[in-house]
Amino acid sequence: MRYVAIFAVITFFSSVTPAQNAFTYEEQKLVKSFQKRTTDYANTRVKIERRLPKLPKAATIEQIAAHKSTLQAAIQKARANERPGKIFTPEAAAMIRRMIRREFTDTWDGSEIRASVLEAETQGAVVRINTPYPDSAELVEMSPTLLLSLPQLPKGLRYRFIGRSLVLMDRDNALIIDYMTNALP
Amino acid sequence: MNRISAGFISLLLALAVSLPSVYAQGAAADSSGSGRSLKLTLPVAADSVKFVSMGDTGTGSRQQHELAKVMLDYHAVFPFEFVILTGDNMYGSEKPEDFKRKFEDVYRPLLDKGVKFYASLGNHDEAIQRHYELFNMGGDEYYKFKKGDAAFFALNSNYMDKEQIEWMHKEMGSDNSRWKFVFMHHPPYSSGGKHGSLMSIRRVTEPLFLQHGINAVFTGHDHFYERIMPQQGIYYFVTGAGGRIRRGDIKRGSPLTAVGFDRDLSFMMVELAKDLLHFQVISRAGETVDSAALVRQTQQE
Repeated sequence: MRYVAIFAVITFFSSVTPAQNAFTYEEQKLVKSFQKRTTDYANTRVKIERRLPKLPKAATIEQIAAHKSTLQAAIQKARANERPGKIFTPEAAAMIRRMIRREFTDTWDGSEIRASVLEAETQGAVVRINTPYPDSAELVEMSPTLLLSLPQLPKGLRYRFIGRSLVLMDRDNALIIDYMTNALP
Repeated sequence: MNRISAGFISLLLALAVSLPSVYAQGAAADSSGSGRSLKLTLPVAADSVKFVSMGDTGTGSRQQHELAKVMLDYHAVFPFEFVILTGDNMYGSEKPEDFKRKFEDVYRPLLDKGVKFYASLGNHDEAIQRHYELFNMGGDEYYKFKKGDAAFFALNSNYMDKEQIEWMHKEMGSDNSRWKFVFMHHPPYSSGGKHGSLMSIRRVTEPLFLQHGINAVFTGHDHFYERIMPQQGIYYFVTGAGGRIRRGDIKRGSPLTAVGFDRDLSFMMVELAKDLLHFQVISRAGETVDSAALVRQTQQE
């Protein structure tokens, strides 16, 4: 384990542009299927958004807010029967827990990430599928090194911590698409 | 001149220019009509790039309005063209009326004078802010713009993924401006007791800043003003006192601090004159809390 950690640090510093971490052979299959499910959501969202009035380039703040809530309602309707764990399947969730734990033990950022997450003002945020993240709650910053160690998401989908849960959130309508509990070691 | 020697010369210059006697040199007549005595240490050259950096503004509070009034007064003698916002542009809810109350109402006199605001996103900001016309983000969470001989890179430090890192590498690497600046919310270096230096951000960004010759980095998140001692030749500033103050939060005796001010709100005025970056930091009371001229670093061969 120690050699893996040293190798990871050397690799990190020898490359100026940090790259997405490589996954183990066993992880690759799970990562691929996880990414397919996230892409499926992203494609559905694009289809739904295409049916809505387009946001003008020079939109007013009223138009921006209206677009967000219309998109939110349309996606909530389309995903009304979704249940948690469809994207974060038990296998995918277990793998992501392992990846986060590895990041916490192999780098120096673990305590910083934990402090950011647990001190964040996320009052009012409910970890429930198809529920909007409140605009008044703080968005916990995601450590770049942690993001590089997790499977990459399609544009517009985000990982976010709410307490010890990790959620998948849609950047543009703030809906919680899926979540997994006990993600933070 | 390499980064280290430029940093040392800048430190000497900064110490010299920070002396109170210099205030008289740059003292400007108050043409704002406020009756406030405005002391200017900046050269106010005709063709220079002039801007303001501040962050953590979005409260709509009385104090934020008062600081905006001081900014307006200074604009009369130091006509800055634009403001870079280092994030947390909107605390609490982000309804259309909030954008009006926490931004437009506060800065309306400056907006009416044609001052543009360029925003970066903080941990209290929703990504939809990138579409808000008055934040000039062009629909992007991270973006670049140029003014004169300077390039400004606005980063989203709240979600710095692979895509953004690749963008930084490409855009910073291909830019040949005389000055290159980054502004973002989270500080790679800070002496804040509440937050302080964000190591995870530093670990990813600093190698890129060094490789691509970034001269200065403006951040917020910690609610005070701090000029950091040059780090590997790069100048870092925490300008997070635009709307909230965390009194006494700068760790006393921190080796990072060149100058710190955590007693009141403040904003930082910057002027680029060829190879010198002049700056002056003004508090809500109108006093100068820091002022210096820093030498532009050149890439180490």
